[in-house]
Amino acid sequence: MITAGIDIGHESVKVVLLEGNQILGQAGFIIAGEVEAAARIAFEALLEQKGIGPEQVDRLLATGVGREKVTLADSHRTEMFCHVVGAHWFFPQVRTVIDLGAEGSRILKCDAEGNLTNFLLNDKCAAGAGIFLETVAHMLKLPIDQIGPASLGSSKKVELTSTCAVFAESEIVAEIHRGAAREDILSGVHESIVAKVIANINRVGVEPEVVLTGGVAKNVGMVETFRRILQLEVKVPEFPETAGALGAAILAGNSIRNHK
Amino acid sequence: MITCGVDVGSLSGEAVILEDGQIAAYSIVRTGPESAATAVEALEEALKKTSIRQGDIEFTVATGYGRVVVPFADKHITEITCHAKGAHFFTPSVRTILDMGGQDCKAIRCDEKGKVKTFLMNDKCAAGTGRSMEVMATLLGIRLEDIGPISLEAKGTTIKVSNTCLVFAKSEVLSLMRQGEPLEEILAGLCDGVADRVKSLLKIVGVAEDFVISGGISKNIGVVKRIEKKLGLPAHICFEPQIVGAVGAALLAADILKRRS
Repeated sequence: MITAGIDIGHESVKVVLLEGNQILGQAGFIIAGEVEAAARIAFEALLEQKGIGPEQVDRLLATGVGREKVTLADSHRTEMFCHVVGAHWFFPQVRTVIDLGAEGSRILKCDAEGNLTNFLLNDKCAAGAGIFLETVAHMLKLPIDQIGPASLGSSKKVELTSTCAVFAESEIVAEIHRGAAREDILSGVHESIVAKVIANINRVGVEPEVVLTGGVAKNVGMVETFRRILQLEVKVPEFPETAGALGAAILAGNSIRNHK
Repeated sequence: MITCGVDVGSLSGEAVILEDGQIAAYSIVRTGPESAATAVEALEEALKKTSIRQGDIEFTVATGYGRVVVPFADKHITEITCHAKGAHFFTPSVRTILDMGGQDCKAIRCDEKGKVKTFLMNDKCAAGTGRSMEVMATLLGIRLEDIGPISLEAKGTTIKVSNTCLVFAKSEVLSLMRQGEPLEEILAGLCDGVADRVKSLLKIVGVAEDFVISGGISKNIGVVKRIEKKLGLPAHICFEPQIVGAVGAALLAADILKRRS
């Protein structure tokens, strides 16, 4: 039995193909144009790459912000639900999932079986979102995958006082002019974002294990900052950006089994 | 009696020279990287417009974000107090002031003497501040001062910019442009969003007549008209709403001198 999960994010579409307990393939594609077309292109590209025909896929489940628009999907579930299922698949001890996306973050709580029990969303403000890291990378003329490692070399963190990402940009410009080291600015930026993500965490509570998912979880600077501020071990799956799509594929499989 | 008020804000700096209760001269300059230098520049600009010399100024009050570093100030007072005082000077019947600056927005209630009773400030989020208008003007390739007039050409409020955050609203506006939405409709949506944000701030402090708007955004007719409509109240705006804080500072300087003598 092969199932597929598609996760529509703000910036990219993620696809996972699952056979039983084995991930057959996964991929992420930047969204250009319409969600429906982007989902179809991503799905077909991964199938072709893996030499799997669309007829071999027994069930396809969509999740993410544009999930209702994916007409090739058999059903859809919320991304909160799917991220927890995906994270639980990698780490069965997980109780708190922090999903870090391009345009927002989510704190998700789950039970021992990986059922979503509570959640907290932040998608109103860019100050705690991945897009802010992209802006900063651009300002400091560094590729996005290098800002995390660079931040770890900081010895004297720059304190950013702005709450707003727009105001923080001006603050960073001032720091650059003042001659602050790149790694020190980055360290301050990472800390500022993490502080915003977990600002309201007490409303849902944080319980170990903590798992980070979403594209921003690939940034080691973010992971280290979460560890330091939460004072907890923080786990990251091998492919954090596809955790939601994986969860969708797993749920697709469950629904087939439940209907037999 | 000659006094001076200097308001060093986030995006602009203003100086006002007050002679016996009358505005003798004023200036508005763009804020540079150094607040102290901005204050000096503003004062020099104002002095150029009058025969008054710097040595004639008996007392100077500084206000605004950069107030503590103004080198020639005798005292510094918060911009909340100064804006209420300044608004009261232009509109003696004022009870509610909305100051919309470059990086923040304040709703202030005052008594019949222009003394602050309560206030609420948003300086945490760029949404609804002057900065958001500047960013959008740049994005849309138009001049800041054209936003208001163009927005009034819209048929109504057909477009709603649903994102509060300026960062996300930028992407939203870009996609609206790509969809071929008319510029005036997009601008109307943006002005309406600012008016909505301001209204929620005002509702918390309560609105009592007369209602004054000060600060740079009050020059945006598109925002002002929408605020008036949402509140069901006319807004009083003086001839130069950017100098209200500096006028208040100069008046407070005069008060200090009067008390001393």
